Amino acid sequence: MAKVEEYKLFPGCTIGNRIPFIEASARKVFDKLGIKTSDAAFACCPDPVGFNSVDHTSWLAMGAHNLTLAEAEGKDIVSLCNGCFQTLKLVNVELNNNEHEKEKINKILKGIGKVFKGSINVKHFVEVLHDYGPDKIKEFVTHDFSGLKVACHTGCHYNRPSEIVQTDDPMEPVKLRELVAATGATPIDYSEEMLCCGSGVGNTEEAPSMQMLANKFSSAVKAGADVFVVICPACFQQMDTNQKKAGTQSNNEFKIPILYLTELFALSFGMNPDELGLKFHRARLTDFLEKNGLK
Amino acid sequence: MVVIDYEFKKKVMDAHIHDALKYCYQCNRCTDVCPVADLAPNRYNPRNLILNSFLGLRENIFGGDDSFNIWGCTMCDTCDEICPQKIELTGVFTVLKNISIAKGEGPEYYTIQASAIYDSGKAIPPQPAIERRREQLGLPKVEAPNIEEVKTILNETKLNKIINK
Repeated sequence: MAKVEEYKLFPGCTIGNRIPFIEASARKVFDKLGIKTSDAAFACCPDPVGFNSVDHTSWLAMGAHNLTLAEAEGKDIVSLCNGCFQTLKLVNVELNNNEHEKEKINKILKGIGKVFKGSINVKHFVEVLHDYGPDKIKEFVTHDFSGLKVACHTGCHYNRPSEIVQTDDPMEPVKLRELVAATGATPIDYSEEMLCCGSGVGNTEEAPSMQMLANKFSSAVKAGADVFVVICPACFQQMDTNQKKAGTQSNNEFKIPILYLTELFALSFGMNPDELGLKFHRARLTDFLEKNGLK
Repeated sequence: MVVIDYEFKKKVMDAHIHDALKYCYQCNRCTDVCPVADLAPNRYNPRNLILNSFLGLRENIFGGDDSFNIWGCTMCDTCDEICPQKIELTGVFTVLKNISIAKGEGPEYYTIQASAIYDSGKAIPPQPAIERRREQLGLPKVEAPNIEEVKTILNETKLNKIINK
């Protein structure tokens, strides 16, 4: 693509205000690849699992409000989070395809002097990186991860509902696998690859959430995974912080590193682990770093 | 006696943008693939929810002892993908959840989060410790959202009434 693009970066509440080291790795990777982004005063996307369940109209209106901020600059949004991506994409599509809803939401936005036009697109960062090209990304790799077995976990809101988000295959996504393979690592097959991490139901009740997580972990460990690579902060938090609970729930012990795709890329581009804030992971990365000659 | 609530029935039918809900023939694929129904088959059953929704049997859904029958949904959208009739089940469940919240029957997590969004514009408001960490990581400050605009929007949608603000 010859056109010089700049995206509005949408890190989201969880990454920005809870696990900012993910944002650090993403910004470093974008800089290295020459993908341009700029910030905006976005509010909460808002959460497709939480806020949409409370009041669909409020969810549409808040999502539309965020979209107007990017529309004002005529720039597409790149989201670092599955949840924010799904919300902004779904709101954009729902309002663009439903004149009645669009009118209703614009009546609400009129109170703050804004109009939703539907003039921009919303992208997940995996789409942006995959459009950039796994082969082109390979050229930046200085630390080869050959031999590393990766359990890829896209999470649910990256590729579903597929008719609307149109990112990847809804049940057999390939883009994350191809991006992981660009670092030399091997994406493995494991039986519960498409199982939800359990974060959603965890808002209601812990036991089923931890059981889903345990089933996911067991299946990946059985298949020989060294690490998980994820692309959603809700999945990341569920998988990084709840290993002990999931173990207790299922009479297991889980100690498996959880890496964000942008962290794997940053390391493979030769960036210093200390600068990435990897020490803030709850599932320790010490062994992983040592084994891979990064410490 | 079975009571059909036509107003409720209209609400779920109208909310469904493809109007495909009425074509459900109860094949059970949704429940087959549901990861929560797999673990808690007696407490969560998406096929059953859809049946009671399109028949307008409101009392079979709301007001029970265990709201897990609605809130057990983990929002994975797997049922949406598998449904041979292309029913967006998750969209229907969102209508049910909105009703459940308005009746004060939803888990408190949801209203607490909505309250944080109403007050600060963010589901997770900024905290000094994280702001320092951002600085250490060389990250720019998070640009603060326009809270007045957020409040104006959410008062207009009457979210303030739903969450008692």
